[in-house]
Amino acid sequence: MNRIFHGSNAGEEDLNISMGLLLALLALPGGFVSLLLFDKYGSFLQWLRGETKFDPLAAALPDEYFFIVLSMVVTGGVALWWWDSIFPDRRDFVNLVSLPIATSRIFLANSVAIVILTCLCVIDVNAASSVLFPAGVAAAQPGLRFVLQFAWVHALVVALASVFSFFAVFASTGLLMVLLPYTVFRRISAYVRTLIATLLLAALSTSFTVPRMILALPRSPHSPLRFLPSAWFLGLCQLLRGRADSSLAELGHMAILGLIATGVLAFVAYAVSYRRCFVRLLELADAPPGHLGVHTSWIFPVLDFLILHTPFQRAGYRFVIKTLLRNEAHALAAGGFFGLGIVVASRTLFATFNSTGSSPLPSADVLSIPFILCYCLVVGIRFVFDVPAHLQANWIFRLLLNRSIEESAALARRVILCFALPCVVLVAFPFYLRCWGWRVALVHLGVVKIWVVLLTEVFLVGFRKLPFTCTYPLFRHSAVVAAITYVFGYFAFTALTAELESEAFLSPARGIVSLAISLGVWYAVLRVRKNLTEVDEPLVFEDIPAPAFDLLHLSDRGG
Amino acid sequence: MLQAIELTKHYASIPAVENVTFELEGGQILGCLGPNGSGKSTTVKMITGLLKPSRGRVLFRREDIRRDLVSYRKQLGYVPEEPNLYPYLSGREYLEMVGILREIPQPKLGKRIDDLLALLSLYPSRHSALASYSKGMRQRVLLIAALLDDPDLLILDEPLSGLDVSSALVLKNLIRALGERGKAVFYCSHVLEVVEQVCSHLLILRQGAVLAYGSTGDIQKRIGHSSLERSFHHLVEDVDPDRVTREIIDVIRAA
Repeated sequence: MNRIFHGSNAGEEDLNISMGLLLALLALPGGFVSLLLFDKYGSFLQWLRGETKFDPLAAALPDEYFFIVLSMVVTGGVALWWWDSIFPDRRDFVNLVSLPIATSRIFLANSVAIVILTCLCVIDVNAASSVLFPAGVAAAQPGLRFVLQFAWVHALVVALASVFSFFAVFASTGLLMVLLPYTVFRRISAYVRTLIATLLLAALSTSFTVPRMILALPRSPHSPLRFLPSAWFLGLCQLLRGRADSSLAELGHMAILGLIATGVLAFVAYAVSYRRCFVRLLELADAPPGHLGVHTSWIFPVLDFLILHTPFQRAGYRFVIKTLLRNEAHALAAGGFFGLGIVVASRTLFATFNSTGSSPLPSADVLSIPFILCYCLVVGIRFVFDVPAHLQANWIFRLLLNRSIEESAALARRVILCFALPCVVLVAFPFYLRCWGWRVALVHLGVVKIWVVLLTEVFLVGFRKLPFTCTYPLFRHSAVVAAITYVFGYFAFTALTAELESEAFLSPARGIVSLAISLGVWYAVLRVRKNLTEVDEPLVFEDIPAPAFDLLHLSDRGG
Repeated sequence: MLQAIELTKHYASIPAVENVTFELEGGQILGCLGPNGSGKSTTVKMITGLLKPSRGRVLFRREDIRRDLVSYRKQLGYVPEEPNLYPYLSGREYLEMVGILREIPQPKLGKRIDDLLALLSLYPSRHSALASYSKGMRQRVLLIAALLDDPDLLILDEPLSGLDVSSALVLKNLIRALGERGKAVFYCSHVLEVVEQVCSHLLILRQGAVLAYGSTGDIQKRIGHSSLERSFHHLVEDVDPDRVTREIIDVIRAA
């Protein structure tokens, strides 16, 4: 269990967090959302709002759905995080097989560990919401019976949804291992994980539409909701509460069937892949086979000619890009941020088009889409730059790099922009061109480019390391502050810039305000950077916190 | 060429290396020996500039290396004790990265990498991820990385670790040949036979201090043993290997 919690690379990768902190983080979303909902169900606030006839069960339906999706997303995310650790690896094989233990007992022990961890995770993720949410919903209801009835149904449904999600991820791992050659599985593992992570995030966005659609379910027999597992569990919830019509009851039965099928599939796939892979683990290659980077090797000389001008930039760019794309933890983290960006951007897009339809000029919401994508991408890449990769191997950079070199930010900027700008040009530009023509598309492209460059500069203020080669930064000590800053930064960047641009489309004179603000940001970045470079070493390999006090060594000077 | 003057390193207040002084001229191969915890690795890290000494200096061509570490390292090839490499890079990609950082011009670099990979039997797996390499293959990659820029000073920390017989033989001959070409080689190892065969000079450390330093022949003559193994044992070992062996057998039997 310890191995699964801390990952198979514990000690090698610094992306590990303690068990207590992990459990607290997992419990946080459910508890936080439950507290936010208290005002919705409070009798005094209902009275103030003039709601005299309040049906708590009907009002709780969208929230119930949100909790179901949330529990599925969080538990699925945990299963994804433990993806590599769930199956015994080469190290386990070497340590265990040499001992006089039958492989069937190792299989059984690992299975028991997985079941215990699933239970622990399910309880942890749903405990807070199972207490606080029913307490909030039943606040205005007389008697204890309603609370208890509501609470047990909620707890049972979210727990079953969590178990379903965990087993679904687990089953997809096992199935891929069964169906694909082991080396191919290792090769595509990161991409599959990124895809599942994106799907899980996309599932969250269904909470805005599914509760409305579920009410119309009896009238639409071919509704896609029948294929949505989270809707099955909402059907189960209504079934257990005795408020399900025939279509919801059908969804509820599908939830039970789906749960059993996923559980069986996960177990069978695990058993088969265990038999197929674990017992032959030493014969199988641990790393992706084939020829790495042979087909893309022509790109680097082109980039050397165009944008990479010094040996540091050339070697560093190759190293950073390959780490980002090939090291699983980094690819997954950056992919997760980008996936979040896609989800938020697509939700904004659909919401805007549903509400306004087509218009001669794009609204601020529509203009914000590339800003959203780029913000998530830039933040994601900047975040993973701080996560070390195989720190013991950084001796080569310590040995060969000149510490007085001032090119870290330049290298990081090139990497970020190489991801962000094509995303704008290839994804967003054709869309605006198609909908609003050349003028809007070109102006928008230019504005987004300017703001993305500025955003990158802001995030790279004080950046003085080769990405992935530095020890873990102060982030661990200020994670909450950093997260809040990222969230505020998101709203400031996506809403403000799009609003300014929208105003500029309406009245070009107002574009001067936008220009002035961007120049102001640029000037502020330059000032801050100038002050920082005067004091510090340009390239570091250890993010050591500044000391609380400095010794002046006055006696040394006197001597 | 290389001079270590009273090198001292303290971790917190515990001394790891104390007043280590030696000299290494071009053409010399200096073997560094010592039991576990004797300060070999700390000494190596200080003379490569990876670790700053608490006291003492390292001079390269009479210049303190810390004055201009970059130009010192340009003339230094280093094979570390552990083959720590980035597992998701291929062997060729890693060497290319090292070559670019060493500012070797591109066409020359590619040819040199391919030639060395072929000579050390790594060419067929040059595009495979380093994660799939055996320890010996990784060691060979490190060796190529160290030799890539034809350095004047080579610091090798257990370079034979994991190498097969023929690669080890090639490396031993190579070290000798480099010495004959006027290169200075600092060679750290536990394998006494190899040190005896290869090294012209010896530095024996124990508990962070220099126990013996001089030419291999002189040290053996001084101690009066014909083999280096006997000499080394005479100098550094506190334990009686025969007695310990007997006691281990007794414990196993008793269990």
